[in-house]
Amino acid sequence: MDTNMKSVSTSSKLELKNLSKVFGQGKERVTAVDSIDLDINPGEFITFLGPSGCGKTTTLRMIAGFETPSQGSILLDGQDVSSLSPDRRPMGMVFQSYALFPHMSVYQNVAYGPKIKKLPAEQVKQDVSAVLDSMSLSTMANRSPNQLSGGQQQRVALARAMVMQPKVLLFDEPLSNLDAKLRAQMRLEIREVQQRLGITSIFVTHDQDEAMSISDRIVVMRNAKIEQVGIPSEVYLRPASIFVADFIGISNFLTVDGASSAGSNKASVNVLGRHMEVPAHKDALASESILLVRPESIRVKRAESGNQSISGTQGQVMQVVFYGQHVEYRIQSQVGIVIAVVSDPIFSEIVPVGEFAEFSFDPNRSWLLPADKK
Amino acid sequence: MKKKSGIKLDIGTKTVLIIAVSLLLLMVVFPLLNIFTRAFDESGKQVFSTIFTSEVVREIIRNTVVLGIIVATLGTLIGFFLAYAQVKLNFRGKKILHVISLVPLITPPFAFATAIISLFGRSGIITRDILGLTPTLYGLPGLTIVLTCSFFPVAYMSILGMMRSLDPALDEASASLGASKLKTFFKVTLPMLIPGFASSFLLLFVEASADLANPLVIGGDYTVLASRAYIAINGEYDVPAGSAYSLILLVPGLIVFIVQRYWGERKSVVSVTGKPTGVPTYIENRIAKFFLLIIPVFMASFIVLIYATVIYGSFVRFLGVDNALTLANYRYIFSGIGSDAIMKTTIMALIATPIAGLLGMVLAWLIVRKVRKGREMLDFLGMLGLAVPGTVLGIGFAITFNQSTKIGETTILPQLAGGGAIFGGAVAIIMVYTIRSSPAGQRSAIAALQQINPAIDEASASLGASGFTTFRKITLPLIKPALLTGLMFAFAHSMTTLSPIIFITTPETPIMTQKILAEVDVGRFGNAFAFCTLLIFIVLIVMGLINLLVRGNPNKALQPSHTQIVKA
Repeated sequence: MDTNMKSVSTSSKLELKNLSKVFGQGKERVTAVDSIDLDINPGEFITFLGPSGCGKTTTLRMIAGFETPSQGSILLDGQDVSSLSPDRRPMGMVFQSYALFPHMSVYQNVAYGPKIKKLPAEQVKQDVSAVLDSMSLSTMANRSPNQLSGGQQQRVALARAMVMQPKVLLFDEPLSNLDAKLRAQMRLEIREVQQRLGITSIFVTHDQDEAMSISDRIVVMRNAKIEQVGIPSEVYLRPASIFVADFIGISNFLTVDGASSAGSNKASVNVLGRHMEVPAHKDALASESILLVRPESIRVKRAESGNQSISGTQGQVMQVVFYGQHVEYRIQSQVGIVIAVVSDPIFSEIVPVGEFAEFSFDPNRSWLLPADKK
Repeated sequence: MKKKSGIKLDIGTKTVLIIAVSLLLLMVVFPLLNIFTRAFDESGKQVFSTIFTSEVVREIIRNTVVLGIIVATLGTLIGFFLAYAQVKLNFRGKKILHVISLVPLITPPFAFATAIISLFGRSGIITRDILGLTPTLYGLPGLTIVLTCSFFPVAYMSILGMMRSLDPALDEASASLGASKLKTFFKVTLPMLIPGFASSFLLLFVEASADLANPLVIGGDYTVLASRAYIAINGEYDVPAGSAYSLILLVPGLIVFIVQRYWGERKSVVSVTGKPTGVPTYIENRIAKFFLLIIPVFMASFIVLIYATVIYGSFVRFLGVDNALTLANYRYIFSGIGSDAIMKTTIMALIATPIAGLLGMVLAWLIVRKVRKGREMLDFLGMLGLAVPGTVLGIGFAITFNQSTKIGETTILPQLAGGGAIFGGAVAIIMVYTIRSSPAGQRSAIAALQQINPAIDEASASLGASGFTTFRKITLPLIKPALLTGLMFAFAHSMTTLSPIIFITTPETPIMTQKILAEVDVGRFGNAFAFCTLLIFIVLIVMGLINLLVRGNPNKALQPSHTQIVKA
């Protein structure tokens, strides 16, 4: 990476203030984004995660300028950019379909922006070569986009956005057209480039693995609103709602009773016939609550031969899936199916289908949530 | 999660939009409104009031409808057989057959009529000299032959496009489920083609019922609305009556246009399934092949015969009477007024062509990419110039631009049409050429644009390009083939059009097609043939030049990749 590119980004801060987007009128009125507020720090990599139709793409497109907000503002380094047309915003975008210009070579695609900017020819050449170099695309400069593989096209799209030295990089599900292996590789590449240049970035995806592996912070969206903002471990281990817990990863939700406060952020509950102290969400005790236990937090061992019943923390194994590095169980318990993932399994201790198993978990690895928001 | 972009229109785009809409208002809406007002003058009202009482008026309407239905039926059938042969049969001369099937599109209006009279008329070479018959060609029989020959390519193209877009996998699926080829044809292929048949039938109906040139030459006593309106205006000098007749003519055209658009919207859901995946198979059965080729080969031979007649006829004294070779016909048309018409028609068509191409392109771009509210309206306005019969448009222009256009006391436009107009009325003629040919460009550009993923435009915008820069650097190069088609059609159409022009030509701006009509009227077929031959020649030359000009300077690196532009 040469210095020319590195000097680029004095990172920028992006703020969304009370941002809304309403499509259509009258009966067909749809609120796609509903008054969201978000501060994105300079150099931060933020991911918008959520099911389709949750408003994540619309939010991104408002930031880029392709949609006009119905309400609210977008501040870039303190300046309102919401009334600027897309071509006036210092933002680069990488599209789901890549949107490479099919009638131009790789080089022409990347040089398009600098030429529009009317940079001197020498400078254009220098910038484009530098970016192509940094993305290992130099040897393909004269190829047509349709002669490239999906991964290469993706890199050209990224190079084309980066050469503009944007203050913010926007990614609209850029990896969804790649196969699984390439996707994993490209997300590492994107993250690496982003960190090297320190460009404030926003990434839209519905793939939770992608979100967790690439982001500084994740913004989980649902029905046009932000459900939770947090670092990946927070979103996974301390989800703000049943929706977040359910959307990210696999969850066991265990019903509890007799929940009461047990000091700061703790609660004592009765679950599966046992009494325990668990970490709790601040609103967990306001109404009914439910206990989240991730499958990998559950330990499984064969039940003693004398006790062949479904009660308490004991259940019957309904399904066993062997993955190599871990085994996944589905166990019929008195509160429904419990999913357990046992890693590094011991051959002789795998419980076969039909047999009874005893399951347990460390209370510190569970999380008490308000139950009313499903 | 694809949403249509809701970009605020930038100043450049807004300006373009305003200019385009103003042009449409001036060139179509304004003349049509004038027809409406004039048609309800005294003698116009009289025409309307007699529709249900006067046998004469009713017969004219009946004639028009009957002619439209016969030609639409025959033309659609012929178009289907030709398209079917192109897609499903493998035979030598397939490409030539394709070219011959399209040739009538660039044929001047009187070429068919004159040639057919010479060959099959009362004293025709084939009918009288060879077969010893003296049939009556003038009237419905002649009109049927001539109009079917002139308009079947429209059906051919629309059915061919539809058949090519059918996924061969459907045939394969049907075969794998045990259906024979014949059964597949009747159960799968044919039902899917019905919308195509319907739309081409409607299109042909409108074209045939509104044609003016051929009824004037070969119609005889068989009066149709278009020729009646022409007589009212150019013979009886009764503008309100002419306006009224042309208004009646407008009704089926507009209905069909609206129905077809509605149908087209629904149809497109089915047909846009992406590229066919399987390999189309040809019908190999020799007997089936023989029967399927009878009509295509007959049509192709007939058209070649017509062309041979036109060209040969232009080099003899009087075809069928005095077959001595001569250049007298060409000497005549190149002298004085003839060469003036040739020059002026060509120049005016050359001026109108780029304007029409650009207008169609820009409208398509605004409709597909930029305008959200009122895009249907804009599309409708853009197509109106072609949807309206030429006769109607011509009359509209004549009554609108024969005087200066005023708002209150201020003159905003000088007199554009008729004697004493500026530039000898050339402005009005160029306007008619433009507004008649831009719709074809608009349609093909809309189809091309819809193939381009909107993200490509957005990518350009996010790289700092304004709306207009994006149009110039990204959109235009990608829709070049559509532009090419649009320009070629515009030129060919302008050169060969008669019905709107005949109402606004002036002595200072003679038009070739009108000169041909004059020669045919006085029976100088040789001169008419010479004019037709020359006209076809000019059209072919210019089409070749446009092809070179637009295709030229190719971007060496690349051909557009379809996998890229096709919507993800």
